[in-house]
Amino acid sequence: MKHLIPEFERLKTRLPPGHDATLLLPCLRRIQEDQGYIADGDIEGLVEYLGVPRIQIEEVLSFYGMLRRAPIGRWHLQVCHNVSCSMRGAERLLDHLSGRLGIQPGETTPDRRFTLSTVECLGACGTAPVVMVNEAYHENLDPAGLDALLERLD
Amino acid sequence: MPVIFINGEAVDTGEHPTVLQAALANGFYVPHFCWHPELSVVGNCRVCLVEQEGRGVNIACNMPVVDGMRIETDSETVRAQRKAMLQFILLNHPVDCGICDKAGECTLQDYHYAYNGEPALSREPKLKGTKFYPLSSRILLDNERCILCSRCVRFTREVSKSNVLGIEYRGDSALVRPAEDRTLDDDPYSDNVIDICPVGALLSRSFLHQARVWYLEPTPSVCPRCARGCTVQLWHRKPEWQLKTLDPSHNTRILRVTPLENPRVNGPWICNRGRDLGEVLERPRAEQALQKGAGVTMMEAIEATRALIAESTRRIALVSSWASNEELRAFQNALGDRFTSFVKPDQLPEEGEVVEDELLIRADKNPNTRAAQDLFGSEAPEIREDADLILVWGEGVDFAQLPRGAKIVFLGSWLLPEVGHADVFIPLSIQTERRGHYTNFEGVVSAFEPCQPRPEGVIDAETLFPLLAAPGGARGRA
Repeated sequence: MKHLIPEFERLKTRLPPGHDATLLLPCLRRIQEDQGYIADGDIEGLVEYLGVPRIQIEEVLSFYGMLRRAPIGRWHLQVCHNVSCSMRGAERLLDHLSGRLGIQPGETTPDRRFTLSTVECLGACGTAPVVMVNEAYHENLDPAGLDALLERLD
Repeated sequence: MPVIFINGEAVDTGEHPTVLQAALANGFYVPHFCWHPELSVVGNCRVCLVEQEGRGVNIACNMPVVDGMRIETDSETVRAQRKAMLQFILLNHPVDCGICDKAGECTLQDYHYAYNGEPALSREPKLKGTKFYPLSSRILLDNERCILCSRCVRFTREVSKSNVLGIEYRGDSALVRPAEDRTLDDDPYSDNVIDICPVGALLSRSFLHQARVWYLEPTPSVCPRCARGCTVQLWHRKPEWQLKTLDPSHNTRILRVTPLENPRVNGPWICNRGRDLGEVLERPRAEQALQKGAGVTMMEAIEATRALIAESTRRIALVSSWASNEELRAFQNALGDRFTSFVKPDQLPEEGEVVEDELLIRADKNPNTRAAQDLFGSEAPEIREDADLILVWGEGVDFAQLPRGAKIVFLGSWLLPEVGHADVFIPLSIQTERRGHYTNFEGVVSAFEPCQPRPEGVIDAETLFPLLAAPGGARGRA
C-alpha cells in the first residue's frame, strides 16, 4: 500500500482538512484494484495513515461484499442470480460453470485461474442472464456462449 | 427561548436542542432505544416518533426545536406508526424473557407492553444468532436479542474512547463485534455497555442467572476504590424475598454494582473496578478483638488501649483514608489532641490496573483522602524512632517498618495477617454496615447507606473513639 500514498495525498487535497476518514473507501478500492485484495498489513497501514480505528475499517470491509480480504483467481466470474437472470437461466449457467471448473460459488480453482461467485442484480436485466468477468459484462449468455467465453480466458 | 406546543401545552424548551430532550425534560415521555443523553444522535431505532403539525411524523431525537412548532407525542398516527416500528424491532427478537437477565428492567419489554402488546404479525421464521458470544471476560453478547441500536458502539467511541466495538456485516446479518485484535477487556469502562443496552443483549457474566432483578433492591453507596468517589448502587436481595439458606450471607451479598447517576461526580458511568466492589468489601472479616493475637472481649480491648494511651507519651496515629467524614471528626474530637496524626493511603494501585485516566479513574485509590487531609494535614507519615504508641487505623501499613519499641494498636475490618501482630486489635464496621459520607478529591460530599448487618463483635469507629478517650469506666455497647 505504501506506493499508493502519493495518490492518496492527492485525494486528500480535495477534502476539507480533518476529514481524512472519508478517504477510507477510496483507499480500500484503490488498494484492491492494485493488488486484488486488502491484506491485514494494509488495514494496519490505513489505521496509521488515516488515523481511523481498526474496527471502523473492519466495519466497511464486512459491509461491502465487493471488498475482499484474501486473494482470488486471475478471472473472477460473477454470476447474477437475481430475479431476471434466474428467470432467464442463471442457475443453469451456474451449474454449468460449477461442473466445468469443478468448484462451487465462493471457491477458486486449484490453478488459481478462476474464482466463481454469485452476485445480486448487476443492473443488466434487459440482457439477462449476465456474468461479470473481472470488470467486463457478458450478457445474453447461454452455456454455449459461456464455453466460448471461457476459451478466451487464459 | 423557543416555545413549542407539546400535546397542546406550551413548553419552554430552555437549552434543549431537540424535541425529544424538550419533551422528556417537561414530563412528556417519548419512548427511545438508541438515543442516550450522553451519546451522539444516530436515529436508527425510529421509535421516538412524534407528529409535527403540517410536517407529518418524524423522529423526535433528531428534530431541532423551532419556535412555535406543534408536536403530538400520542396522536393516533403516532401510535399506529410506533406500533409498526415495534413490530419491526421485534421481527427477529427471540422474546426469551423467561431466561433473560434483563427481564424486569428491559426497555423493549416495557415498550412492548406500553405501545404494542400484540403478537408478531410476521409468519417468517426468526433468524438464529449467537446466543453466547464472549465480548470479554466480563461481558456476554446475545446477538438474537440485539436490536442494533449501537449505544454500546458509540459508548466505546465517544465516552471510553477504546474504539473496541463496531457493527459488522449488513442488513439482517449485522452483528456487534469487537475489532479482530481487541476484546472489551481492553476497556476499563466496558461494563457500562451492560447498563445502557436497552435490551438483554449485553449481559454481565458475573451476574449471569444470579437473580431476578425484581427480587433485588439497590442501596445508595459510594465507591471507595479511588478518590473520584463515584456514587453507586449496591444490589442485594429485598428483605421480603429472603432465601431459605444455611448461609445467611446469601441474603446480604452484593450481587451487582451499578452507577447511581450523579452529574457532579460520575455522570451515569463507573469503571469496572467499581463493579467489583465485592472483591474488596466482601473479603473475610475480622470479627474478634485481639490482644497480642489472643481473643479478648471488646471491653477488654478498649481497656487495654486506654491503658496504652495513658502509659505512653509519644503517640502517633496513622489515620485511614477509607474512614468516613463522621469517623474522622469523631477521632479528631476524641483523640486528636493526644496523637500526632498523619493520613496514610489504605490502598495503592494494583499491578495491571489503570492507574489514572481522563474520564473517572484517579491515581489515589482511597475514597476520603481529601477530608482526612483537611483535618490532619497532608504531610507524609513521619514516624519518629522514639515513638512509644502507634495507632494504625485501616490497612496498608507494614508493621515491620514501625519502630520496634512502639506498642501498636490496630483498628481494622478485614482478616489481614497484621491483626495477630498488633498489641491490641479492634475490629471495625465497614461502609456497607453504617451510614456516612466521603469527600471526593474535588470536595464533593456523597453519602452511603448501610445494606448489610454489622457482625457480632464489631464496633463502629464513631462509637469507639469516645470510649477510648473516656477517663475510665467506659460505658455503652461493646
